[in-house]
Amino acid sequence: MKTTMQDKLSILAGSAKYDVSCSSSGSENNYKTGELGCAHNSGICHSFTSDGRCVSLLKVLLTNVCIYDCAYCINRVSNDIPRAAFSPRELADLTINFYKRNYIEGLFLSSGIIKNEDHTMSLLLQTLRILRHEYRFNGYIHVKLIPGASKELIEEATLLAHRVSSNIELPSSKSLALLAPDKTKEKLLSPLKHARDITMQRSAKPISMSTQMIIGATGESDFEILKLSSSLYQKALLKRVYYSAYIAVNNHKHLPVPELSKPPLLREHRLYQADWLLRFYGFSYDEILSENQNLDIQFDPKTFWALSNLHHFPIDVNKAPQEILVRIPGIGIRGALKILQARRFKQLCFEDLVKLKISLKKARYFIIAGKDFHRSMSLYEEKIKLALIHQGSNVIQPTLFDTSIYTGEL
Amino acid sequence: MILLYDGSFEGFLSLVYEVYYEKLSVDAIVKEMPQTLLFERFHEVFTDEANARKVLEAITKHFTKEQQRTLCNIFLCDTREHEMALLEYIRIGFKNPKELRNITNANLFYIQNLEKELLSLVHKMYGFTRFEELDDGTLYAKIETKFNIMPFLGDHFAKRLGNIPFIIHDIKRSLAFIKNDEMREIRSIASFDAPIYSDEEEKFKALWKTFFKSAAVESRYNPKLQKSWVPLLYRTYMSEFE
Repeated sequence: MKTTMQDKLSILAGSAKYDVSCSSSGSENNYKTGELGCAHNSGICHSFTSDGRCVSLLKVLLTNVCIYDCAYCINRVSNDIPRAAFSPRELADLTINFYKRNYIEGLFLSSGIIKNEDHTMSLLLQTLRILRHEYRFNGYIHVKLIPGASKELIEEATLLAHRVSSNIELPSSKSLALLAPDKTKEKLLSPLKHARDITMQRSAKPISMSTQMIIGATGESDFEILKLSSSLYQKALLKRVYYSAYIAVNNHKHLPVPELSKPPLLREHRLYQADWLLRFYGFSYDEILSENQNLDIQFDPKTFWALSNLHHFPIDVNKAPQEILVRIPGIGIRGALKILQARRFKQLCFEDLVKLKISLKKARYFIIAGKDFHRSMSLYEEKIKLALIHQGSNVIQPTLFDTSIYTGEL
Repeated sequence: MILLYDGSFEGFLSLVYEVYYEKLSVDAIVKEMPQTLLFERFHEVFTDEANARKVLEAITKHFTKEQQRTLCNIFLCDTREHEMALLEYIRIGFKNPKELRNITNANLFYIQNLEKELLSLVHKMYGFTRFEELDDGTLYAKIETKFNIMPFLGDHFAKRLGNIPFIIHDIKRSLAFIKNDEMREIRSIASFDAPIYSDEEEKFKALWKTFFKSAAVESRYNPKLQKSWVPLLYRTYMSEFE
């Protein structure tokens, strides 16, 4: 029986959905008159699925056939699941037709390993060539680098795509050896390093790259995870690290039992908050956590940091520079910018901050604004903790996490 | 005094002219004659092209490009009160341009937020607008938005759709952005024949729905979060939510 396009799409989108990244941002406006497609600097979300994640790219596998046997992966060779494959042309046509109708921003193409690594990478590139050369398509393309593929193929990928990525999968070599015997940390990182080096030779700006780690399948602490992310950011290797709460799809002696485990969504959420502190708020990983520590569940990482570093507070919002303002719990980049803009015209008090729509719920315990500060309480960790808990500002809404992490933006 | 004008941009500029040269003290600006007038004084401003042009020239001279863009953007927020704040914006701009950045002034903060609201709507619609293919290959999109964002959408899609002709139809405002080999403009349309769709349209819609369903992770099911991202308001023409 021939599989229809509907079946293929359902299987191959279903197999690709555990990849978190859907970002389409960070590309220059590459508009060319008369040609189809153009990337948008801030990325665009085209829809949101029933799990609240954004759909920006047509995220599919070229095939879910795979010769590997990674314990955590739904597509591993020993699983008895329906298999399918697109031909490069079929997939290119589908991409164009979805793009025209404004369903998507572009393509996110990955694949199981069919025959061998080079063969798989060639098929991916063939799809990209049809899109770029035949259809003159300039929309966003994110392609997975197949670890183990030859350097020439990796290089061609960096020429055709906006972003390339390779997933580290697990936060330590030990876990990899246990769960993904066909992969090693070196093998997973080498295509990224190669892609960075050759694109650096071409221009000063390396190609944008990302990776993904599975959280909660193995025993690493959040400290280890953040330390790894931070080192990847520092080496200018990656633009983004994604964290994916482990969703049990297989039974395996080294993995949590599927029936008993729920994806650790709150932990994932805290990791993203901490990741934000690393990338945009000027925090270092060892400020956020100490050796082998996990992120606090009750308080977000910034509030937790502030509570354990009260000697930095209170902060005077009329004097502090931007990098200090953003360290105040409850004040983000946008809030800090508003403060900087407004205080050139007058000395700000609490009432002014409220008028500027800056929430004082958390911030009030940590700031001075003109004559205003939180009088009824002195700066003691336990007192502030109690107050925060009492007013419910720490209440975690599992259904409405700070959701920016799922969007195509940033 | 209450001022009445016709709601057009030229009309508003004419109003600014009269406010300045007649030294009017303004309490409210309306587009329609109020039903009951108590003791307020009332004055109707007629659109005057020459006056409007004079004001426009003065604005281009005194305001930065970015501030001029803000003025136009605010005017696109046609379903929200904005005339008084805009008049204040213009007054402050003529008096002391530096003061325009002062967001501790309620009017200026209102304008800054309203523009943000407009731009965030624009950004959402860059993603949520849906085209359908007609039998002649033209792409056709219907939209219903709280503000008039047609100029933004037209430019955006003209950049990405290459040589494909397209029409964006603002149902409530009876406006259409039309782009094909001969024209690229916004027109007001009185009536519109039901379009004939291409043979492939249903097939791709069905494929899109399949993709949309398959891309969701069941164990993370979270319709509340989904709703916060795509409020029901936006879903009218998005086939995946049918």
